[in-house]
Amino acid sequence: MLGYALRRIVGLIGVWFVAIVLTFVAVQFVPGDPIVAMLSDQSGDRALEARLRAEYGLDRPLWVQFVDYLRNIANGSFGLSFRYAQTPVSEVIAGGLLITPLLALVSISIAVMLGVLLGVFAAVRQNSWADTAVILVLVTGISIPNFAMAAFLVYVFAIQLGWLPVAGWGRLDQMLLPVAILVIPPTAYIARLTRTYMLEVLSRDYIRTARAKGLRQRLVIYRHALRNTLVPLLTTVGIIFGGLLSGTFVVETIFNIPGLGRMAIESIFARDYPVTMTIVLLFTVFYSLINLIVDLAYAALDPRIRLGQERGT
Amino acid sequence: MNRPTIRAMLRGTAMAGVVAFSASAVAAQELRTNIPADPGMIDPITYSELVAGDILDNVYEGFVGIDAEGNVVPALATSWEGLDGNLGFRFTLREGVTFHSGRPFTARDVKFTFEQLLIPGNRGGLNARYLDPIVGAQAVKDGETTDLEGVVVIDDHTLEVRFSEPDVLFPIYPFYFMDAGVIEEHGEDWFNRVSAGTGPFRIEAWNRGQEVVLSAHEGYWGGTPQIDGVRFVIVPTGDTAVSMYEAGELDLVYAADTAIRRILRDPQFDDERITAPAAQIQYLGMNGNVYEPFQDARVREAMCLSLDREAIIQGIYEGAAFPLYGQITPGVAGYNPDFPAMPHDPDRARALIAEAGYPGGEGLPPVKMQTTEPNRNLNLYLASQFQDILGLPVEVEIVERGVFIPAMNAGEVALFHWGWSAGFPDALYFLSQVWYGPSPYNRARWQNDAYDALIVQAQATADERERYALYHEAERILIEDFGTCGTTMRMQVAVKKPDVEGVALTPFRFLHFGDVTINR
Repeated sequence: MLGYALRRIVGLIGVWFVAIVLTFVAVQFVPGDPIVAMLSDQSGDRALEARLRAEYGLDRPLWVQFVDYLRNIANGSFGLSFRYAQTPVSEVIAGGLLITPLLALVSISIAVMLGVLLGVFAAVRQNSWADTAVILVLVTGISIPNFAMAAFLVYVFAIQLGWLPVAGWGRLDQMLLPVAILVIPPTAYIARLTRTYMLEVLSRDYIRTARAKGLRQRLVIYRHALRNTLVPLLTTVGIIFGGLLSGTFVVETIFNIPGLGRMAIESIFARDYPVTMTIVLLFTVFYSLINLIVDLAYAALDPRIRLGQERGT
Repeated sequence: MNRPTIRAMLRGTAMAGVVAFSASAVAAQELRTNIPADPGMIDPITYSELVAGDILDNVYEGFVGIDAEGNVVPALATSWEGLDGNLGFRFTLREGVTFHSGRPFTARDVKFTFEQLLIPGNRGGLNARYLDPIVGAQAVKDGETTDLEGVVVIDDHTLEVRFSEPDVLFPIYPFYFMDAGVIEEHGEDWFNRVSAGTGPFRIEAWNRGQEVVLSAHEGYWGGTPQIDGVRFVIVPTGDTAVSMYEAGELDLVYAADTAIRRILRDPQFDDERITAPAAQIQYLGMNGNVYEPFQDARVREAMCLSLDREAIIQGIYEGAAFPLYGQITPGVAGYNPDFPAMPHDPDRARALIAEAGYPGGEGLPPVKMQTTEPNRNLNLYLASQFQDILGLPVEVEIVERGVFIPAMNAGEVALFHWGWSAGFPDALYFLSQVWYGPSPYNRARWQNDAYDALIVQAQATADERERYALYHEAERILIEDFGTCGTTMRMQVAVKKPDVEGVALTPFRFLHFGDVTINR
C-alpha cells in the first residue's frame, strides 16, 4: 500500500510539471498582449510600450522567462501581477485561496450524502411514483444551467422573500444560495449513479441470501447493499469534484464571492497572465490531490486494486 | 523555498477569514455603492485606471475640481495667473487645508507629488504625462536628480510652475496631491496603511476581492462629510449589483452596460434613476490611407449622411444614448451647444456617391470594418446601412481588443466606429488627441493644415473665451470636411435609493461623495 501511494505521489509531481509547462506555453498563444491591455486606448506609444515590456520582463527570450517563472513558483511569490501595481500574485490570490476549496468541499460532502440518500430511496421503491418523482427532480437538476438556477433562486429568496442576501461572502447566510447551486448537479448525478448501482447490487445472490435468512429490509439495504454500492461510486467523486471546481467560476461570479474562480475570470479579462496561470496551476493541484485521495481510498477499500498494481509492476 | 512568503500568504488567508466572518451589520450612515473590480492600486502615484479613479476622487484632490455639471471649480488652488509668454503659472493655494494625517497642505506637497510622479522606478501613472512641459522634468525622469527644477516653492501657499513650452491647460489637469510627510512616517509602502490626501474621505481598508472602505475626514476644508463613510463593494456582474440594490444591500449603483436595459425598463426604478451623458466622443473612422475612396470628401459625406442616429439609439442602445454631431461633448469646457445637427439623408447620400463616380456603389471595392465582440451588433447594423444606401460592400471583422486597438492606432483599419473618453474637462482632450495631425491617436489619419494650426494656437491661448472660439472653429472645419462625424454619446445610468441625497452623476462619473446625506 505504501509503495503504491509513493508511486502515485511521484507521478503527481510529474503531472504538476507538465501543467506548469502547458500553462506557460498556452499563455504564449493567447491573442492579445498584456502590455496593450494595460495601455488600452493609449497603446501605440512605442517608447512607453517598450518601457513597460522591460519592467515586466516580457522583452527577454522565452526560455529566460520560463526559468524565471519556475523560480517564482519555487519561492512562492508566483511572480508580479500585471494588473495590481507592484503586488506579487501570492498576495493577490491569498484571500481566495481557501474560499474555493471550502466551497467545493462543503458542496461535495452535502452532494454525496444527499445523493446517496435519494438514490437509495429511489432504488428501493423502483418504478413506484416516488421513484419517478425523484428521477424527474434529478433530471431537472442536471438540465437547468447553474446561472439560470442562480438567477431564479436569487429572485425568489433574496429579492421577493428577502430571506437571504443577494450576494457577498463572509456570513453563513451568504453561503446558502451558492452552496445550493453548487450542490444540485452533483447531487443529481450521484443519486442517479447510486440508484443504478443499488439496483444492480439488489439483484445479486448475496442479497437474496440475506433476505432469505430473514434480515430486515433496513439491514439488507444499509449493511449489505449500500457498502457495495459505495465502492464504484467513490471513483466518480473525483470526476464530480472537477465539475464542481469549474462550477465555482460561475457561482463565485454571480454571488460575488472573492474566491479563485472569480479571480480567474477577472484576471482573464484584465490579461493578468501571472494570476491566471497561478490559479490554473492551483486548480490542477486541487483536482489531482482529490483524485489521489480517491484512488488511495479506493485501494484501501478494495484490495484487488493495490495488489493488482503491485503485481503488475 | 521562500518560507516567509508562503507564511505571509497563509496569514493573509487566515486574516481574511477572521475579518470576513466578523463583518457585521452596516454602519447606519454609510453609503454603499458598487465597483466592478478591485482597484488596480490605491495610491495617487501609480494611479492609472478607472476603478481606482472612482475611489481616489474621494480621497485626493488637485488644483481644481469639477461641479455637478462638469464645470471646473477651484479646489486646492484658489487662483492662478500665467507667467510671461504662457511659460508657466503662479498658483495661490488654499489655506487651512489639512491632510488625513492632520499635517497642513502646502506648496511643498505639490512639488513633492510632481517629483514622485516622475522619479524612475515609481511607475508614475496617468498623471505623470501632464508634467512633460515643466522645466527639468526630463532630468528627473532620467534619474539625474530628484529635484524638479521648474517647480518653485515661493512660500507655503504660493507656487510657481515654469514650462519649457506653453501649456495653458495645466491648472485643470486632474492631479492628486499627496502628503509629503507620509513616506517618512510610514515608509515606502505607506499606501497599505494610510491614505495621504486632503479629500473628504480617507481610505480605511481594502479587503481584496470584497470591498474598499472609506471613512469621513473630519476637518475637510469643504466641511466634514455628513456620512460616516463610503463602502465600495466589489461586484463584478452588473446584474448582481442591481439585485443587491433591489434587496437593499446597496444604496447607489452605477450600472454596467449589461444592466442598463433592466434599469431603464423596470418602472420600479422610475423615481430612483439618474442619467447623464458620458464625456466620451464616439465617431466614425474613415481612413483614406487604407481605403482609397475615403480620400474623397464626397464619399465621407455620403457615409455620414447614411447614419440614422435615432435608429441607432433606439435599436442598438435601447434608449441609453444621445445623438452626437460634433466632436465635443456637453460637460466638457468648449462644448458648442449651437453645433448644427447632421441629418439622416439617404437620397443626398446616394447622389453624392454617384457624384464621386460610384453610382449605386458601382466600382467601390469592398472595405473591411473592424470591431470587438461587444460592439458586433452596432457594426453589423452600420455595415448594412452603408450597403443598403450606398451599395458599399462592407465586411465586418470581429477582432480581439488587444489586436484591434493597436492596429487602429497604427492607422491600419479602414473603417471603424470607436470612441475616446476625456481625461479632463476641456475639449482640447478630444480635438488635439483624436484629430490633430501629428497625434499618435489620430486613428483615421485625417489631416488638415488649417485645423492643425488652430489646435497649436489654442494650446497657447490662455484666455478661455478666445480659446473656446478656436475650438468651435476647429470642430467646424473637421465636420464640414467630413473628417469624421460624431455618432452618439453613451448615457451613464445609475440608481439611487430615495433616502440618499447629494449624489451627482457628472459626465465624468460620480462627483466625490462629500456632500451626500442619508436619512435612514
